Amino acid sequence: MTEPVHRIVDGDRTSVLLVDDDTRIRQALGLALDDEGFAVEAAASGEQALEHLREGTADVVLLDLMLPGIDGLAVCRTLRARGDLPIIIVSARSDSSDVIEGLEAGADDYVTKPLDAAELAARIRALLRRRRPASGEVHRRFVLGDVEVLPEEGVVRKSGAEVHLTRTEFRLFVELISAAGRVVTREALLQRVWGYDYLGDTRLLDVHVRRLRRKVETDPDDPVLVLTVRGAGYKVAPG
Amino acid sequence: MSTFSERLHAVWSRLTLRRRVALAFALVSVIVAGLLATVTWNLASSYLVAQREQSATRQASVNALLVGEALRSGTTTSLDDLLTGIAGGPDTTIALRRAGTWTTSGRQVDLDALPTQLRNLARDGVAVRQRTVAGGVPVVVVALPLSDGRAVYVELFPLLELDRTLRFLSAVLLAGVAVSGVLGFGLGGWAGRRALRPLSELTAAASRVAAGDLRARLPLGGDAELAPLAATFNDTVDALERRVLRDVRFAGDVSHELRSPLTTMINAVAVLRRRSADMPPTAVQAVALLDGDVRRFRRMVTDLLEISRGDAAIDGHDLEPCDVHDVVAHAAAERDIGPNVEVLGGTRLVMADRRRLDRVVGNLLDNARNHGGGVTRVAVVDRDRWVRVEVEDAGPGVPPLQRERIFERFTRGDMAGRRDEESGTGLGLALVAQHVELHHGRVWVEDRLGGGARFVVELPGIDP
Repeated sequence: MTEPVHRIVDGDRTSVLLVDDDTRIRQALGLALDDEGFAVEAAASGEQALEHLREGTADVVLLDLMLPGIDGLAVCRTLRARGDLPIIIVSARSDSSDVIEGLEAGADDYVTKPLDAAELAARIRALLRRRRPASGEVHRRFVLGDVEVLPEEGVVRKSGAEVHLTRTEFRLFVELISAAGRVVTREALLQRVWGYDYLGDTRLLDVHVRRLRRKVETDPDDPVLVLTVRGAGYKVAPG
Repeated sequence: MSTFSERLHAVWSRLTLRRRVALAFALVSVIVAGLLATVTWNLASSYLVAQREQSATRQASVNALLVGEALRSGTTTSLDDLLTGIAGGPDTTIALRRAGTWTTSGRQVDLDALPTQLRNLARDGVAVRQRTVAGGVPVVVVALPLSDGRAVYVELFPLLELDRTLRFLSAVLLAGVAVSGVLGFGLGGWAGRRALRPLSELTAAASRVAAGDLRARLPLGGDAELAPLAATFNDTVDALERRVLRDVRFAGDVSHELRSPLTTMINAVAVLRRRSADMPPTAVQAVALLDGDVRRFRRMVTDLLEISRGDAAIDGHDLEPCDVHDVVAHAAAERDIGPNVEVLGGTRLVMADRRRLDRVVGNLLDNARNHGGGVTRVAVVDRDRWVRVEVEDAGPGVPPLQRERIFERFTRGDMAGRRDEESGTGLGLALVAQHVELHHGRVWVEDRLGGGARFVVELPGIDP
């Protein structure tokens, strides 16, 4: 069902599933991403994408929102329910509501068309860097209220029960918690977690903080662990 | 005469409608009150004077009778006593002419000063009465021939009290006229304001529309006579708004549709560019051309999308306190505006959508670099409650006639016809103006001392 743009023999290359109903975009972006060093598979619809991922794997999914059949948001939610496969939404829609909806559906990043493969490659690399935390570090352990974080194991427990965070949520949480109560600016977070040089999309950060709170806070509407510092950034409750 | 009336007409027509209504009201109330006052004055004064004259005549007749009796009885001393007695006080004057000589009593007045006609008639034995002034006092003079026909009895009644009463009355009436004039003016002003209120509302709404607020409407529930005007106005603005929105949406829709083919083009060109080492020189040149214009095309579509989306107010979520100096410093560093230019000023906070603010500053810097011969000075300064970003360049400056137009879409000034890669999209300053307006700020361009242009963005500051 899937439409292979390039047969990849080299197993070391990062595999990307490109989901877009526009054939020409699939081809052009596929070629350019291949040039950037990715093994690209393509799917023309949400059904194709889901089927492909049931049978095989991909390291990252590039997902268009406007798809025939199951739309992109539904695909995103389904994939997120299955696991924490990295998802970058690649959409022509750039309104705040669309961006927020896409991120709330579980996407790790949101980029708008038109875009070139080099930018996309940078986003994919930043995302995958998040997936593979540097090994060989000392095993650290943070405790924040009733939440326990083991950065190297990738484990978060709340009141003893394991909480499942996506890799992006996890990296964000670790960045905040390592600052030990100091404010981490939005710019710093966007740079460290998503790899944006200067000004990323602050909606990206805000929605991820919201998602994180829903998982670690007892009352997400009245956060006591992850706090907003108006005009500056975020911090975790000190102590 | 004609010049006077012309001048009057000119003054009148220069007055505002409300002032004219007020003046007309004042004029009418002064005329009406004046007429009433005149009539009142006439009736009251003639009545009072007639009363006084009648009573004077009656009293004089009685006195004359007494004097006549005394004359007939013939005793001079008792006559003198009688005259003194009749005179009673220092105000009344009694005079008796007998055999060509005057005997007087009471207040001394020069009888020769009395009107000649009165004296003659009295001397001729005619009973007369006249009001006049004697010795500086208003009096009513009653002259009565005595029964023997040879003597004349003259009595001068002072009218001081009546005079005071009439003066008081006239003062009251004049004050009344003045007050009614003032009240008329006030009433006219008030009525004019009330009557013109729909007009003021219309003016306010029209100027809001002119200022670009297409949501301004007039309330329809007002006066039945004015409802059609309000409805027509609202329909006109509805139509205008629909049209503007349609135009904006069209630009947005077109740009949106261009996103997909543009994505294909950008990436296809990138693949080509990467292989330019394997291409013949002609193809390399062609790919370079294609690459340049695809980039420009992309910038234009991005700008068009941004500007067509921009008329929606800023989402409250996007507003945050931003340090303008920080934003400017980042934008300057990103662009490498030159080693000799530092961003002057310190931390200044505004409530802003940081992405838009970044765009504003970036576009100003790009504009200075692309059209102004390079940035010469960048500063963030305070002006009362405002935070200013000033970007100065080394270019020829902007002629006064161009200073508004330069912020309109696709105004390219002297860049018209030039379309190389650095010439921009023609939307940069329009985006600046739009974003600044969304932040309730102002943007303008002025001359820099010593040549060049200074672009100034002013945003409402907030306290740290």
